[in-house]
Amino acid sequence: MLSYILRRIVATLPVMAIVALFVFSLLYIAPGDPAVVIAGDQASPEDVERIRQSLGLDRPFLIQFGSWVWRILHGDLGTSIFTNLPVSTMIGQRLGPTLSLMIITLLLTIVVAVPLGVVAAWKAGSLIDRAIMAFAVFGFSLPVFVVGYMLAYIFALELEWLPVQGYTPLSEGFWPWLQNLILPAIALGCVYIALVARITRATMLEVLQQDYIRTARAKGLGQGGILFIHALKNAAVPIVTVIGIGIALLIGGAVVTESVFAIPGLGRLTIDAILRRDYPVIQGIVLLFSFVYVLVNLMIDVTYTLVDPRIRY
Amino acid sequence: MDRRTVLKGLAGAGGLALTGISAPAIAQGASARTLRFVPQANLANFDPIWGTQYVVRNAAALVWDTLYGIDAQLQPQRQMVESEETSDDGRTWTFKLRPGLKFHDGEPVLSKDVVASLSRWAARDPMGLMILAIQQELTAVDDRTFKWVLKQPFPKMLYALAKNNAPCSFIMPERIAKTDPFKQITEYVGSGPMKFAKSEWVPGAKSVFEKFADYVPRQEKASWLAGGKQILVDRVEWLVMPDPATAAAALQNGEVDWWENPIADLVPVLKKNKNISVDIGDPLGNIGSFRMNHMFAPFNDVRARRAVLMALSQEDYMRAIVGDDDALWKSLPGFFTPNTPLYSELGGEILKGKRDFDAAKKLLAESGYSGQPVTCLVAQDQPITKAQGDVTADLLKKLGMNVDFVATDWGTVGSRRAAKTPPGQGGWNMFHSWHAGADCITPAAYTAIRANGEKAWFGWPNSPNTEKEIVTWFDAKNLEEEKAAIGRVNKSALDDVVYAPTGFFLTYTAWRKNVSGITKGPLPFFWGVSKSA
Repeated sequence: MLSYILRRIVATLPVMAIVALFVFSLLYIAPGDPAVVIAGDQASPEDVERIRQSLGLDRPFLIQFGSWVWRILHGDLGTSIFTNLPVSTMIGQRLGPTLSLMIITLLLTIVVAVPLGVVAAWKAGSLIDRAIMAFAVFGFSLPVFVVGYMLAYIFALELEWLPVQGYTPLSEGFWPWLQNLILPAIALGCVYIALVARITRATMLEVLQQDYIRTARAKGLGQGGILFIHALKNAAVPIVTVIGIGIALLIGGAVVTESVFAIPGLGRLTIDAILRRDYPVIQGIVLLFSFVYVLVNLMIDVTYTLVDPRIRY
Repeated sequence: MDRRTVLKGLAGAGGLALTGISAPAIAQGASARTLRFVPQANLANFDPIWGTQYVVRNAAALVWDTLYGIDAQLQPQRQMVESEETSDDGRTWTFKLRPGLKFHDGEPVLSKDVVASLSRWAARDPMGLMILAIQQELTAVDDRTFKWVLKQPFPKMLYALAKNNAPCSFIMPERIAKTDPFKQITEYVGSGPMKFAKSEWVPGAKSVFEKFADYVPRQEKASWLAGGKQILVDRVEWLVMPDPATAAAALQNGEVDWWENPIADLVPVLKKNKNISVDIGDPLGNIGSFRMNHMFAPFNDVRARRAVLMALSQEDYMRAIVGDDDALWKSLPGFFTPNTPLYSELGGEILKGKRDFDAAKKLLAESGYSGQPVTCLVAQDQPITKAQGDVTADLLKKLGMNVDFVATDWGTVGSRRAAKTPPGQGGWNMFHSWHAGADCITPAAYTAIRANGEKAWFGWPNSPNTEKEIVTWFDAKNLEEEKAAIGRVNKSALDDVVYAPTGFFLTYTAWRKNVSGITKGPLPFFWGVSKSA
């Protein structure tokens, strides 16, 4: 298993290099010039050109790309064109809020969506099943920002239970940290919960019709044991897969959620960097996200072996 | 249902629900010694010479002081200087610094710091470049005295050193000011009333300023960038909120104390909340504009440009920007900021009265326009430019023009508008913008009014008469001469349609009522602002 994990990690390097080249090329040919944004409205074309030169933006594509790759190989993600801060520092500042938001959302999803899916499958065709599936459709259909504003209105403005915006690091206490994340995690989690609940239900329905479930029932095993020990374990592979793939949804959704709740996370950093054409920051974030995807896929594969002993690498 | 409708509705509902409700527990726990402020934009960099965005200038005014400061009467007043002398021939300026000035690192402010700072500033500022062009020498005479010797008189010297438009002539320590003006500084050490807490800076999210204990304010009453800058709180936190509905909710909830620029849609909600004050933020407001490219057809012909001016309705533009609040806009038959000493409407008839589409179409035909596409660049991510772009597209269609509406983002517009190639080959015919009224009081800081052909701002208008009258203004000896010159600049610029002014508009600012001392001005002034628990 260890050699498999190592092989997978090594195999990610060319993938990340290709992604990096693709992103670098895309930004290079895209319209918009950071030097123009920096120079401001008062600047003359000569000013803009001098800024371009000082940033190295006037150099040929291959030299810029080569220089960037060289820095990456030396563990240097570069410096932001706008803030003059190291990209690694900027990502580091934003990683905490985004990770916190994703962890809370993931936990919320697993705690809510999996039991909902199991219950819906158990009560298939009943009013409970229809209610859960209606909730899932509702959650899937509402845009994150609509849910976000509704939650902020009810729980922050009306009831005054939770703050509207911001982020408090965990180092300042568990509750201050959590209270800033509850509403965004619910807003972000709605789509995700709906997705996982539907997949859980569908997979469980399939498993519940298997012979070994019938056998377990015939042996007189209780409903809880059948559902959560025999059925759920065998339905776990697709559920784990969809939870893992759903992290992509979380990253996309985090951009909006972080804006609505003014959370200083990577989503907002990405949007700001794209709008300003802050190339080194965009490249750093893309590399990070690529690595996260690869890592998540690896974790999914490893998890398969834990839930299904028949799978071996 | 779009995002804007949803946020407006929900923020509105929140505002109504909160009317009459006191600040929640979340707010009451916050320190009264910290002022939490939502700025107009993200502080993405912090070099006020390298980056000229308004938000950088506003933050820099806390950290760096200037030799002179513009006051509410638009007059330059001494700030870091104790005195100045001008030689009889007007060519030599000798300045003396106030005693006791200190930088945030504890070092005294010396003449050598000023010389280095002014040199860096002058290399990037339009007025500074004018001074550099006639500079003989800029030297430190002693620790507190420095001398600027020119080859010819420059009567607007004090205005150049006091002006509030970016880049301002902020004074930095020599070691920092020696940085190439086209490279960013990395140390943010000033002698202003507040220190920048770099370790707490999260660009795009939060910037923190702490009171500078050794700052010695002037004795005069504070007035804009002049006078005694008394800081009455320990910390000022700038919290960036890209979503206006979130900022509105945070202000209502007491999580922030002051929101610099609430959008017009949400102002009625804020006004209904008894804990919130709302007022016009900057009395100098803004001037909407769209610029036509003078280099290429059809707008290389003054008749085509005048045809557009004859037909445009400033009311349409202003309502698109500010909505139905009539207190927020007025027609502007000219280019200069209303209610300022030099304001003129001379030659403004073309923008007044009933719009004459028939005459405009006739004039357009005479210009030789024959239906070729007119490339109109519109930044969709800037509400002001988006609103103006929609109105222009409609206007041009009504005039019978073939509009190539390029909806894109501000980064792309900013880049593409610099292209001097023909519209069909990556160039453009028109784009939209707006100018802070504070920059449009005189031609000194007013880049958009310049009409010196290829050296002019985007659109590259060429109007020798406008340029001649601008020089006349620079040489004016008194207010009467200045007024006369500005009147002629206005008329000439309208005759040649240097650009199309779309009206004058104001914006609001909003703060919680436990905050006092907020004054109206072209930037948020934090001196004199206090906060009770």
